[in-house]
Amino acid sequence: MTLLVADSISISFGGVKAVNQVSFAVKQGELFSIMGPNGAGKTTVLNLISRFYDVDEGNLTFEGEDITQVKTHQVATKGIARTFQNTELFEHETVLSNLLIAHQQHKNTGLFSEMFFLPKVKRQELSFRRRAEDIIDLLDLQGYRDQMISSLPFGIRKVTELARALSLEPKLLLLDEPSSGLNPEETEDLSFWIEDIKEELGITIIMVEHDMNLLSQVSDRVLVMADGSELTTGTPEEATSHPDVIKAYLGD
Amino acid sequence: MDISQLVVTGIANGCVYGLVALGFVLIYKATEMVNFAQGDIMMLGAFIAFTLSSQLEMPYYIVVPGTILIMAVFGMALERGVLRPMIGEPPFAVLMLTIGLGFVLRAIAGTIWGHQPNQLITPYSGGVIDIAGIRLDYEKLVIMGGTGVLCALMFLFFKFTRIGVAMQAASQNQLAAYYVGIPVNRVVSITWGISAAVAAAAALMVAPLWWIEPGLGLVGIKAFVAAIVGGFGSLPGALIGGIAIGLVEQLVGYTIPGFGETGAYVFLLLMLFIRPEGILATMQRKKV
Amino acid sequence: MLFVFKTAYEQDFGLFKHAIQRNCYLVLLVLLVVAPFVLERFYIGELSELFIWCIAGTGLMLLVGYTGLVSLGHAAFMALGAYTNVILNKYGVPFPISIILAAFFSGACGLVIGVAALRMTGIYLAVATLAFAYIVEKFIGQGGSFTGGHRGFRVENFEYFGVYLNDPVVFYIICLITLLVTLWLLGNLLRSPTGRAFVAIRDSEISAQAMGIDLVRYKTLSFALSAGITGMAGALYAYKIGYLYPETFTIFTSIKLLMLVVVGGLGSMHGIVFGAMFISLLPQIIALVRDLLPIWISQRRGLEPFVFGSILIAFLIFEPKGIYGRWVKIRLFFSQFPMYRKSTFKRQKSFLRTERVH
Repeated sequence: MTLLVADSISISFGGVKAVNQVSFAVKQGELFSIMGPNGAGKTTVLNLISRFYDVDEGNLTFEGEDITQVKTHQVATKGIARTFQNTELFEHETVLSNLLIAHQQHKNTGLFSEMFFLPKVKRQELSFRRRAEDIIDLLDLQGYRDQMISSLPFGIRKVTELARALSLEPKLLLLDEPSSGLNPEETEDLSFWIEDIKEELGITIIMVEHDMNLLSQVSDRVLVMADGSELTTGTPEEATSHPDVIKAYLGD
Repeated sequence: MDISQLVVTGIANGCVYGLVALGFVLIYKATEMVNFAQGDIMMLGAFIAFTLSSQLEMPYYIVVPGTILIMAVFGMALERGVLRPMIGEPPFAVLMLTIGLGFVLRAIAGTIWGHQPNQLITPYSGGVIDIAGIRLDYEKLVIMGGTGVLCALMFLFFKFTRIGVAMQAASQNQLAAYYVGIPVNRVVSITWGISAAVAAAAALMVAPLWWIEPGLGLVGIKAFVAAIVGGFGSLPGALIGGIAIGLVEQLVGYTIPGFGETGAYVFLLLMLFIRPEGILATMQRKKV
Repeated sequence: MLFVFKTAYEQDFGLFKHAIQRNCYLVLLVLLVVAPFVLERFYIGELSELFIWCIAGTGLMLLVGYTGLVSLGHAAFMALGAYTNVILNKYGVPFPISIILAAFFSGACGLVIGVAALRMTGIYLAVATLAFAYIVEKFIGQGGSFTGGHRGFRVENFEYFGVYLNDPVVFYIICLITLLVTLWLLGNLLRSPTGRAFVAIRDSEISAQAMGIDLVRYKTLSFALSAGITGMAGALYAYKIGYLYPETFTIFTSIKLLMLVVVGGLGSMHGIVFGAMFISLLPQIIALVRDLLPIWISQRRGLEPFVFGSILIAFLIFEPKGIYGRWVKIRLFFSQFPMYRKSTFKRQKSFLRTERVH
């Protein structure tokens, strides 16, 4: 079953076509990667799917529903979560409350019950907390639970951001260069987690990535982009051996 | 008073609002800092011009470049001393800092020059010309002409000079600009210098027409309103917004005496309801 | 050092961190309740005023410290609250109801401004509130007999069941209760989803959106709540000063409130109290300093704004976490002595954090 369809999407910034007529379809349960040289428009594709940018042309369909005009904050409710290249965490909060913010999209308490902290709110807090603990366990964040984000090393921040995205309980997870800034050991851990997320939680993943090892290890299919356009799509082996791709990376 | 006079006054005042607005749009674009003290920088410029011309009795052709130069240096010093420590702090902290700065500048001006209003006398003061039946004071003519020249200069600067292009790049993405070898700190510093110089030019043009006193800095508030009405982040928008505010103020003040300024503020609120992205919507509306 | 052992998740969202902290506050509460019966009239009045500034500060802290938005016209909401309350009283609405209605009216005005100004970036709110404050001041001045115009009017005293509202002890108790209730409500809100959404918006608008938080909705909510709380403080303030005229609440009052939250410590409820104490003491400090200065400076009109502005700048540059932040550092220094490292609180210098998406 197809989860997400991008139908010839384009966007330009001041005359520069950042993404030009790119089409792809991501199947349920698949790990779909996007690679390409710097400036190829990979992150822009993620920003288009998560609706931080408006597409100029083309359509995005998620679970059969057109999401081209959906508001940015509604994307999360639809079941799409994302991480950011350089992490965008809530700096002055603890790891735990970063996760709780994600859980609370399912909240069913109003302003007044929260102001008086009625038993209903308390019960809800407890259930958020339990679910947050599950994810903390999954990603081994127990030691950092009560630490401020601003005091954490970059590697842990990356993991926290992954945890926060998972806390949204998404159907589709968008990872923007999950391994950038991580050391080889951390990248190794990451590849296991990504496989766990895919296999055990059954979450479909779209990943923008530079690290070829990680890419070929976990991806089912790879889309290669250059200068905003699609070069080829296929299995990691097919994609990396494609003549256009080699040309794009190594030059003529 | 006939309508044509109101329009002329409105446009002339509007040009001043527009120029002050231009100053902080420049800073905003380069650094994403909002300088609420821009009006007070203009006030300081007016006092410098007054000191050079009336107290030190320098000739006018020295007063003009002198004031602009002094203020440009002042703007750069301000950036270096007060604003640079704030890099990386959240935007609202910077905003509050510049509000505090405005208070301090006003108090300093009051201590040095006192609170009694002064006037700048220029070689062209008092002249009047009649164009197609409309009475034009030289002062207002200079404001309109000067604004045009300044805008043209700035356009050329950003289009064709190396530093102008670097400033544009830095305003797009500071970190990326740093990576490609643009000295970001220096660019930011120069931006502050230019913006203070523009404020000084506005001060020079308006000083013969308005009273010079510490409260002059409050014109910055109307300049902010102008920038928002014009479309925040757009340089031509700042000017258009300024003229719009100037006109609204004059026309409302004529219809309901004493409510001119209130009219301008009500206009802002209405504008926010109807078209929050401003007349020239360059800044992408935050998706909601 | 104090270690807290946690055995249940509930402990994490209690209003107090641990029993010792709670007991300290209980002692403070007892002292505050006993205070009006032992202190002199003058000090009771001063404390009441301090409580009112705390309430107003709570309103602005919610907006600035927890949502990351700036309002430059919060005095206008104090004015709206004050005038609404007094005018309602004039038409026979009893005090406890009128003060709540006054808060709702201010909140509603905040809602309208917020709906208009919060669709764009935070600067829009700053400028819109400034404009709004100017308009409010102008219209109160032109309000004729309804608002008392420029000359203003006297606030009538009230008597219920033989108790006079302007009796210092009674008024003190009313202010204290209002403050406690306000702080309690805010504390509750901040440990619930809505409060977390506010903080999320403050720290990263981009991320907040990705977490499904509707920026406009929550920002507007925060602003309306903030305006309502500040309006309530204004309503009480009217009875404190006993006479209302348009110049009671000016841009200067707004700046004073901003200073309260910055100097007290952005994003902390303790900061509200520290900040309110600071701005209440400041006039006295300025009066003291004035005597020490050479006459050509001390007689200038600009001294007070100069001091206000400089303090604001100094705190933002050198101690952005305010008095409360300093207090936390001092406490940590002693609790970790001699192991304290200066770098614990070192701020990370970074390039500008942009809200633009690249």
